[in-house]
Amino acid sequence: MASPRSNLHQESTNTEQIITEFFAKCLHIILESRSPCAYSRNYSGEQTQSSPSSSSSSSSSFRPRDKWLNLALRDCVVDVILVRGPVDCDPVRCSPRRGLVKNLSVEELFPNFWNSGHEECLLEEKSEKIIERWVIQYKNQKSRDFTSGSKRSGGTSSKSLYKKSIVLLRSLYLTVRLLPAHKLFRDLNKSGQIHTYTLSHRVSSSVEPFNRREEEEMRPFNRTEVDTSCGRLCLSVLYRPTLSDLSLEPSTPISPQFIPDYVGSPMTDPLKRFPSLPLAGMVAHGSPSSFPFSRRHSWGYDIYKASQPSVSPSPSPTYSDSRALLSNLGSHRLPPVSLPRHPHETPSSSNVSLCHQYNTSFDEYWPSPIFSPSSSPSPPTHIPSSHPSNALLRCDSAPVSIPAARFGRSPGLPNNHIVPLAPFSKSSRPSSSQTDNSRALLRPGNIQTSVPVRKFSLGKDEVGNLPGAKISSNSSPQISISRSSSRLSFLEAFDDSEFPCPFAVDYDDIRDMHTRYVIQLVAYFVCLMSISEWVSLAVPDPYIYSGFDREPSRYENASDNRQGVTEC
Amino acid sequence: MNCEVCHLKELEVEHFEIREILRYSNSGDIYFFKHENESVDLVQCGDSELEKKIEEKIEQFIGWVEKHPNKKSQICLSFYEVKSKQATWFVNKTERLYWEQWYINLNVTQPPKAHSSKYQHPKVIVDPGESALEERSVRRTALEVSLREVLFQIIKFVNEKKDHIPSVPNHGGVSFPYEITIPSSSDSSFGMDMFKRMLQTGHPTMLS
Repeated sequence: MASPRSNLHQESTNTEQIITEFFAKCLHIILESRSPCAYSRNYSGEQTQSSPSSSSSSSSSFRPRDKWLNLALRDCVVDVILVRGPVDCDPVRCSPRRGLVKNLSVEELFPNFWNSGHEECLLEEKSEKIIERWVIQYKNQKSRDFTSGSKRSGGTSSKSLYKKSIVLLRSLYLTVRLLPAHKLFRDLNKSGQIHTYTLSHRVSSSVEPFNRREEEEMRPFNRTEVDTSCGRLCLSVLYRPTLSDLSLEPSTPISPQFIPDYVGSPMTDPLKRFPSLPLAGMVAHGSPSSFPFSRRHSWGYDIYKASQPSVSPSPSPTYSDSRALLSNLGSHRLPPVSLPRHPHETPSSSNVSLCHQYNTSFDEYWPSPIFSPSSSPSPPTHIPSSHPSNALLRCDSAPVSIPAARFGRSPGLPNNHIVPLAPFSKSSRPSSSQTDNSRALLRPGNIQTSVPVRKFSLGKDEVGNLPGAKISSNSSPQISISRSSSRLSFLEAFDDSEFPCPFAVDYDDIRDMHTRYVIQLVAYFVCLMSISEWVSLAVPDPYIYSGFDREPSRYENASDNRQGVTEC
Repeated sequence: MNCEVCHLKELEVEHFEIREILRYSNSGDIYFFKHENESVDLVQCGDSELEKKIEEKIEQFIGWVEKHPNKKSQICLSFYEVKSKQATWFVNKTERLYWEQWYINLNVTQPPKAHSSKYQHPKVIVDPGESALEERSVRRTALEVSLREVLFQIIKFVNEKKDHIPSVPNHGGVSFPYEITIPSSSDSSFGMDMFKRMLQTGHPTMLS
């Protein structure tokens, strides 16, 4: 028979355990609805449908015991802190962009907070404001007689405490979701918004009391006390009733950028330039205005940029399509399509105009296959920016059809100055006339003119030096166009067509000038089509030019998924 | 055992909002739902059977509201204990001892009708949609504030009065036995239901 003393001891143990679990559970409930870090880590679809009944003490048995299990429990104070400023404390939730977001209202409140000239200091200048203070206390009442064994109201002490703790936790569960700070928490968890603030928390056993001003701003709510056999459990909250004066409106998200005229025709504004887009590398080559093509695309590059192209930070479907296109193009890194960037050769206005014309006319024939006009857009290909053809290949993917035979002459360009749209290697130095001619041929209108291809003046060696024609082993890989019968039959379709702008692919193997021209043209248009269309037509791999170092990931799929490519 | 009664603040709702507002309870079975359009987050109780029963009651109430438009109504949520009475001959009666009652007061209003075209001057360009939207927005904001006040009222009541709560029943349910009383087809019948309940529970002061 259990002695009364052992019963009391058991009762005390039960009470201690309940109180301990109560502390842990309170902390869990508060942080769950206030801490974006905890929310993101623990969030699941069931969180929003969670029931207070699931948060009962029985479910907390698996929670790890911590220092709160100490019998002599100290007070637990959880401060919910509003942190304003560039946030870098939580890599899960916060990806700060320094200086990208400026909130004028924040600046008004903290005039020294934002400093355009010292944006790097923003990380250190954070404003913290306590918007809630939850206090969980257990006060030992040593004056109570533990040996009395007197029955408390509502049944035995531990049972009553257990029951009341459940009710208290459930009301806490609701309270944290009714207070104004929960709205901030929800806003923070919303995707697609950039906030200049975050919610942080601080758990401590003792904190400094609020000063008078802070105390006036805070308001108490629903202080609850539960008597136990050993003391009194108390839960209270001080909260800031209004947060609207803190000017915490989210800002416009940065990452999804809308390109208004992405599918616009270059005919209307071929050289439209987005002022917000930095033209990296262009400064070294002259004034930005002299660059022919600076229209922004997800796959666009700066035309005369030697380094990595300025790809849109947000990947677009066309970008992925480009990758898919590349994935089927083999493992070769293609030579750049660009004209050589000679040291003395800076983008001149003439080049700009040429490329302008290329852009103007190209989109008319984008991106249909050569032999069957279609309106299906094709993903762009990665083309080095140093080639004027990039202007064309980077044009807006407006679905256009290739007209039958239409040749628009580029003003200022003689008809006989038509050269194949041949890629130029970086090291190659074709003559300026050839350069101009190449650029002239980049114009789709020129491509489809009736200018005889025989006037192409590039010799074999010259073509060999053209980027994309043949790449040396120590440079970018090469993709050669197959001379398979299917290809020839395909190319034969163009025999009668007047596309005088062949691509220089592998002139060592292609002796027939006419065939070479046609192949170049085919490769040119293939670059503009979707890989699916091209593969289905059993057309040899297009010529994709890469005139600069790229991220290897862009091409790694190309080597894996290369299809239908045979060496010439 | 005392029967604690709580009369919640009256909520003015439109017909389509009834279902959302009525899903709450208290005392061991906090029952909410999360409505995305509202800035008030609510929580469900997590018991599908309970939710199903409540949904049935809500549907009945909506039916009553449709028959009695623009009338104030009251829904009573009662928690009770089942006690067996002294068994008599061939009768084993059980009685319900209500220990807590919540009265949810609703004022269901009908949405304002759009202006009829025949009353509209042909030369007057009226955009009722915009004004109606603005009015609805104002009204929903007011409803949100009222709902929040009601929820705070519930929390306050629950935290203040816990001694009357009986022990958790052993039948494994997530809530105490409860009863939802909605106004029946006639008001007089509704009043009779309330009278019957009073007879069953007796005066609160009579209960120990």
